[in-house]
Amino acid sequence: MKTTFKIAILATSLVLMLIADVPFLTEQLVPEAEAIFGVRRRALRRGVIIGSTVGAASEAAAMSNQQAAPAQPQAAPSAPAAPPPAPAGKPLPLGTVVSALPPGCTSTPVGGVEYYYCGGNFYRAVFQGNSLLYVTAQPK
Amino acid sequence: MRINNFRMAVALFSLGVFALSAAVSTEVRAQTPTVDPAATQILQKMTDYLGSMKQFSVHTQNTLEDVLESGHRVDLDVSASVIVSRPNRLRAERRGDLIDQIFYYDGKTLTLYNPADKVYATEPAPGTIEELLDFARETLGLMVPAADLVYRNAFPLLMQDVTFSAVFGKAVIGGIKCDHLLFSRPGVDFQVWVADAGQPLPYKYVVTDTGTPKLISITTIMSDWNVAPAVDDARFSFEPPQGAKPINFMPLETSSGSDR
Repeated sequence: MKTTFKIAILATSLVLMLIADVPFLTEQLVPEAEAIFGVRRRALRRGVIIGSTVGAASEAAAMSNQQAAPAQPQAAPSAPAAPPPAPAGKPLPLGTVVSALPPGCTSTPVGGVEYYYCGGNFYRAVFQGNSLLYVTAQPK
Repeated sequence: MRINNFRMAVALFSLGVFALSAAVSTEVRAQTPTVDPAATQILQKMTDYLGSMKQFSVHTQNTLEDVLESGHRVDLDVSASVIVSRPNRLRAERRGDLIDQIFYYDGKTLTLYNPADKVYATEPAPGTIEELLDFARETLGLMVPAADLVYRNAFPLLMQDVTFSAVFGKAVIGGIKCDHLLFSRPGVDFQVWVADAGQPLPYKYVVTDTGTPKLISITTIMSDWNVAPAVDDARFSFEPPQGAKPINFMPLETSSGSDR
């Protein structure tokens, strides 16, 4: 009986210690994390070369999601870029960026620029950084 | 009974000591950043050597770690060959699923060419490689492979804000015995492996983003260093192949471009 009581006290004190530790940990870690983020973002903004390399990593990681954002949500980053489901007869706003052309596009040169026509939209290829993208445009 | 009391006291005491030591070690780690001059010296020897080369070519194998939204960890691999002829010629050829393109810079213009899509974009470019790299990154959002190595004054840029550095030991990379260096600064850790004899060339380079719990890294393994490559002008100037079509660079949005 007494032994059980002692075990209970020991267990309680253990639990109390753990509980006491948790706020201590969060208080310690959170400002530190913020400091690191702050410094990191500043470092990237300065265009430090390592920062830019790491920037490239997150850029690559976010590639398809970010760049196709105005159009349709894309598949997972490393998966081959899926053509956006272009609703036929419903033109996209000019300047909409997609990471791949919808199926069945026909290409036409207009004024030295190649335009791709499909789903009621004209697209033109552009480089955004290292990525080849397609943007809806009015041929001229 | 007495023994039980004693045991409990010991248990509580050791728990207390454990908790205390954990707290102390965290504090020690946080408060005593150290920069090992030996590591700094090797890094400087490497960057000085790279900066002194009139021309070089190198093959790099780059692995970009990624975590899918599903939580799976995947690697994206890009293989790149770079030729540099200072002060104003650079060609970088990248092959991979993520990026398949050739970058040309001849001192006057830069061209990005996607052979698979047969499209290219050409822009007027600044007059030196260093300016070109800044221009490509800041104005066009373009990443040039091995750019970190090509910068002539790489050393102060690498060492900026470094709070910790160490010579971690020796390792053999691609048959070359190297010193393994570790550097840390807020948000970024990087490791460099530099040949420990002969030309102080780097053979491996890992940059880890420590700002997120994912600890995403970019790993570059360098091989086939050539300090006397063929540097005829034709290698750096782009001649559009039959059927290749010109396109444009999309201007960077100023807010999202530099703040990444």
